[in-house]
Amino acid sequence: MPNPRKPERETITICAYCGVGCGFKAETIGNEIVRMTPWKEGKANHGHSCVKGRFAYDYWCHPDRIKTPMIRDSIEEPWREVDWDEAFAHAARELKRIQGKYGRSSVGGVSSSRCTNEEIFLTQKFVRAVLGNNNIDNCARICHSPTQFGLSATVGAGAASQHFDSILQADVIMVVGANPTEGHPVFGSMMKRRIRQGAKLIVIDPRRTETVDSPHCRADVHLALRPGTNVAILNSIAHVIVRENRHDPEFIKSRCEWQEFEHWAELVGSEEYSPDKIGPVAGVDPEDIRRAARIYSTGPRSTIYYGLGVTEHSQGSTGVMCLGNLGLACGMYGREGVGVNPLRGQGNVQGGSCLGSWPHVFSGYRFVTDDATRKSFEAEWGVELDSEPGLRLPNMFDAALTGHFKGMYIMGEDPVQSDPNQNHIIAALRNMECVIVHDLFLNETSKFAHVFLPGSSSLEKDGTFTSAERRIGRVRQVVEPLAGYQDWEVTMKLMNAMGYDVEYAHAGEVLDELARLSPAYSGASFELIDRVGSVQWPVNSDAPEGTEVLHTQEFPRANGLGTFMLTGFVPTRERVSDQYPLLLTTGRILTQYNVGTQTRRTANSQWHPEDVLEMSLGDMQTRGLRDGDSVTITSRFGSTRLKVVESVRVNPGVVYTTFHHAETKANAVTSDLSDWATNCPEYKVTAVEVTKVTSSKQCQAKTSVTRPAQRERQVEEIAVVEEVST
Amino acid sequence: MNDVERPAVEGAVIDLERLIEMANQIGDFFAPYPPERAREGLRNHLRTYWDPRMRNALLEHIDAGGDGLDIRVIDAAQLLREKAADKSGYYGPPQA
Repeated sequence: MPNPRKPERETITICAYCGVGCGFKAETIGNEIVRMTPWKEGKANHGHSCVKGRFAYDYWCHPDRIKTPMIRDSIEEPWREVDWDEAFAHAARELKRIQGKYGRSSVGGVSSSRCTNEEIFLTQKFVRAVLGNNNIDNCARICHSPTQFGLSATVGAGAASQHFDSILQADVIMVVGANPTEGHPVFGSMMKRRIRQGAKLIVIDPRRTETVDSPHCRADVHLALRPGTNVAILNSIAHVIVRENRHDPEFIKSRCEWQEFEHWAELVGSEEYSPDKIGPVAGVDPEDIRRAARIYSTGPRSTIYYGLGVTEHSQGSTGVMCLGNLGLACGMYGREGVGVNPLRGQGNVQGGSCLGSWPHVFSGYRFVTDDATRKSFEAEWGVELDSEPGLRLPNMFDAALTGHFKGMYIMGEDPVQSDPNQNHIIAALRNMECVIVHDLFLNETSKFAHVFLPGSSSLEKDGTFTSAERRIGRVRQVVEPLAGYQDWEVTMKLMNAMGYDVEYAHAGEVLDELARLSPAYSGASFELIDRVGSVQWPVNSDAPEGTEVLHTQEFPRANGLGTFMLTGFVPTRERVSDQYPLLLTTGRILTQYNVGTQTRRTANSQWHPEDVLEMSLGDMQTRGLRDGDSVTITSRFGSTRLKVVESVRVNPGVVYTTFHHAETKANAVTSDLSDWATNCPEYKVTAVEVTKVTSSKQCQAKTSVTRPAQRERQVEEIAVVEEVST
Repeated sequence: MNDVERPAVEGAVIDLERLIEMANQIGDFFAPYPPERAREGLRNHLRTYWDPRMRNALLEHIDAGGDGLDIRVIDAAQLLREKAADKSGYYGPPQA
């Protein structure tokens, strides 16, 4: 093996992958990246990294990258390459035409958590100030919107209460619907370190994940619940705590709304949620529920980490509230080693959430209906703003189907692949007259787009990310943008083309503006971050270098008190039946990332060349299946095909797959049920049947009766796009 | 606001069946609260998170008989009309 070439230059930046937000040194020769090494001063990773951040960066210069803007009049036509000015002019003309014909509210936009805070902020500014409505959403809608809703409701801030290092003080770690050793590996390693030192581990997850049982990691209690019963189980844990007087009255009296606690204690303390009642419903031993409750409430420092296994349910927001309630009831807030913490999927989901890419709130989670807040934005932006909430992402697609929504700016998202009930999304996109996709690669969605604006990866631009621990860090430009512009410049120029005059010399000026308009970010600046490395919000005059632990004195609610929400268990409408007797749930693997747009374009694919379906031995035997058989998975919504493998990680009745490969088409089977509060899709529970594919003909989509006939054709049409070389 | 007219597109902004399902789900959440608070919670949720066209479609459906809607939702929608001027949203348990 030749010696590595000596880099000419190194640039400190943040990993593009999960919400841990590891600091990296990107080492370059000219405009070529030769190595990514974890940064020892990175406050999230302290010099550690995982196999994605360390090795999976070559996607940035993959031959699939699009470097020239493209337009077309209809999706039947081929793309036509144009220069930037023509692309902007065309997009602006179309958006104006549509608004003239169908009204101001007939267009909108969505931003991505792979983009920087500055880009996310500018996208909402584009929609609110230039398009003149609040039809702006972000991809947290389909992952952690229940976090914002559920934690805001109980403790007043939709974010992790702790910094990652806090786990090194925890005596009890409860992991709910997350698998940090795979999904958030650098944090997972820190968790393992604490477990080696003796911390107890409770895992609530349908699957015997690597977090339940792997080297350096063994759960003291694992509640392998049936998918869809989170709220029942968490209420039952609360039942034991309340009935056995394991709550913390002193904390509740001094820090919370006591009356709401009493209402809550009455609800969860009722017979309905006793372990003996809930155990059989959720498929777990009642004694394990009691053990989990006793371990968590004993602490003395108990902390909760959770993921999409909590949020992506029809009761996702209720599940998050359950966690907030538990933390408050046991006094597990406001110091090191405790708290309730979402593990966020993408590098900047927290930022996406904070910076106003929501139809109902401006940056800082302040309602668009609030006159004083709106006026502060109007003063800064020089235009009058809409005072009514806009359409959420799923609502936009729904409204497209009824002809009310006709144009969309999609920044760094691929709804056709990542949103639920794929065929519904495709039909909606086909009904639109101007879809603008701003991305690194042509993707599933761009097949239905009219304007393609080539994007820049996080290695090609400046800005900030906010990680899952509220840490604001610098994304620094490592190489020149392949298509000529950083993404924030593209959004700015699109605003200009629409006739809105705004100019930023660099991304730091956007940060300055968003800091003026977002209380928790008010002290943030490039200068500060360059000086101290990174800061956790709130960063303001009271906390000039940021805040590690939230809620130490009071909760950011009007009266400063935490509160309890009543979290009745409402079973999802998605149920097993004779026809669909198994429950499908989904998860991730260490070496790949989400839908794989980036990692599949790197050599990491060799570790995980395809997704497989995990199934228990008994379920396989009753279906005459053997390891490696091709199977068709059919739900009420559609079908797809995978290889099946026997697994001891899933219980009978449950099947599991990852969704890193486009060919897996997991979203061809997922339902369009969603969280009651936020419309976050219920990805984690789908009733399915699995059958053996006996000939290659049979695998060609035999779909259920509920699917319109035209869907089949569409599915076949989109099946191949994401093939990539490795 | 700018001078672009409201749309001339007819009909509910979102398929009614879907809208009814969403509204009923919200009704289910607030069910454990005392009736007055459940009403206020529902109203606040619809006021804060639903696009006005979605709220209007719901109200029009109620005027047409409200088929398929939970009685809690129908009640709360009445409050949406009575307190039309009160736009302020909040997080946390229902007040009242």
